[in-house]
Amino acid sequence: MIKTEIYEQALFETIKRGATEISPDVKAAFEKAIEKETNPSAKRGLITTLDSMEMSKKRENPLCVDTGWPIFYFKVGNNCEIEGGFMELENAARRAVAKATEMGYLRATMKHPITGYDPGNNIGMNIPDFTYQFVEGDFLELSYAAKGGGSECFGGTRHRIVAFADGIKGIEKFVVDSFVASARAGAVCPPSVLGIGIGGTANVAANLAKEAACLRTVGSKHPDPMFAKIEEDLYEALNSLGIGILGAGGDTSVLAVNVEYAYTHIAGIACATSTNCMVARRASSRITADGTVTKMISPNWFGDR
Amino acid sequence: MAEFYLNGPLTDGDVTKLKIGDTVYVSGEVFTCRSRLQKYIFDENHTLPFSTEGRNILIHNGPIVIKENGKWRLVSFMPTSSIRFEKWGAKSVDEWNLKMIIGKTTMGAETAKMMKEKKCVHVSPRSVSPNLWVDSIEVQDVYLYDELGKIEAAWFFKIKDLGPFIVDIDCEGNNYFDNLDGKIAQSKEKALEKLGIDKDYKFTKLY
Repeated sequence: MIKTEIYEQALFETIKRGATEISPDVKAAFEKAIEKETNPSAKRGLITTLDSMEMSKKRENPLCVDTGWPIFYFKVGNNCEIEGGFMELENAARRAVAKATEMGYLRATMKHPITGYDPGNNIGMNIPDFTYQFVEGDFLELSYAAKGGGSECFGGTRHRIVAFADGIKGIEKFVVDSFVASARAGAVCPPSVLGIGIGGTANVAANLAKEAACLRTVGSKHPDPMFAKIEEDLYEALNSLGIGILGAGGDTSVLAVNVEYAYTHIAGIACATSTNCMVARRASSRITADGTVTKMISPNWFGDR
Repeated sequence: MAEFYLNGPLTDGDVTKLKIGDTVYVSGEVFTCRSRLQKYIFDENHTLPFSTEGRNILIHNGPIVIKENGKWRLVSFMPTSSIRFEKWGAKSVDEWNLKMIIGKTTMGAETAKMMKEKKCVHVSPRSVSPNLWVDSIEVQDVYLYDELGKIEAAWFFKIKDLGPFIVDIDCEGNNYFDNLDGKIAQSKEKALEKLGIDKDYKFTKLY
């Protein structure tokens, strides 16, 4: 049985790491972008952003002032036993978010949607958000993602039902149109990690897109060549637009394009995009049944990608 | 495209020389605001509890500030997107006599029109680098903390060579991003062509 104090401490550490440390794959994507950037002003922007992100780890402060919507993904072994059960796991996550907010690792960003009331700790109705995946085993994997306001609020997340008659061209046209509109003047904080969900109902497509944006390793490819080709073609297309860092012009507009899919209805193809900001914050930890906690480099949400 | 180091409070002369695409670093006394402050003042008819004379630079921002040993410490800072405050943009420039707004993205046509009339510019960051900025910012004071909460209160900062920012709206009403839109539209056409998507592509209309 995994003890409450073990998973609560792991949750807090994972939130703190997600908020303050750049993932190695995102860092590698930044280094690649810096190397190939030909616009001097964009190059300087990429370098100073990476410099600041490196400093966050040392200073233990947030990579960006907007620490986003707190979102948790729990990959749970079917035989995993959690002290207090899943309700207590979620309560511990709420306590960890409140503690991280109090300590300045998170900004008190979550508010009442109508009154604007600020609870001051990022805890409220349906927030934080929890998603589960059940697999064989007795372990628990915790992933924390911070979904920034810019990336979510300016059309970086949207959906469209594409007719089967329109197929891949319809999907790609929807993605390019959406991205160009959402990245205008740097609204979604490009260069983005663009997640695309294809198939399922609209909410399934939207969730897949969000998971593709927040939980895929940057630089990974979809194992199915058909979807890997969509990723590659869109990566090339979007990086030929000249949007650049914060939309002010430059060679790199996306750090990655990640596609995930579900079977869909004969009536149409639900498509969704979810754009993650350049800081692409996430962190994951694994707790085995004996209570050993290890930091994970990849969230392992989609297996080895 | 030139580079300028400016000291607030800014004069008309300081800002009218700036052209879109110029780079600026800014020093002086500034204040922050987000939508809740503008709603409080302009929609709910409260009076701004401080003077913007001598403090005519506004930063759209919700900082992370914590209290340590009775003193405020700025943990993180990044200008937030200005476009979402367009509703109150022209009024803010007019009634607060602003000479510069620092914010991510840009403002819309109504604000740009008022900026031209009142001589004010909008400048936008080119990076997400809170750590390179917090060292250039001293927290001076905070207003409306109880009324609006920690993030949306009006913070007074003293800044030193904060930047670089790109001038995206100048005093002539020009917008850097409007100009870039044209170039991006052209490259988008080429990108779609490469994906095998016609210029006049039409989706099958489902709804």
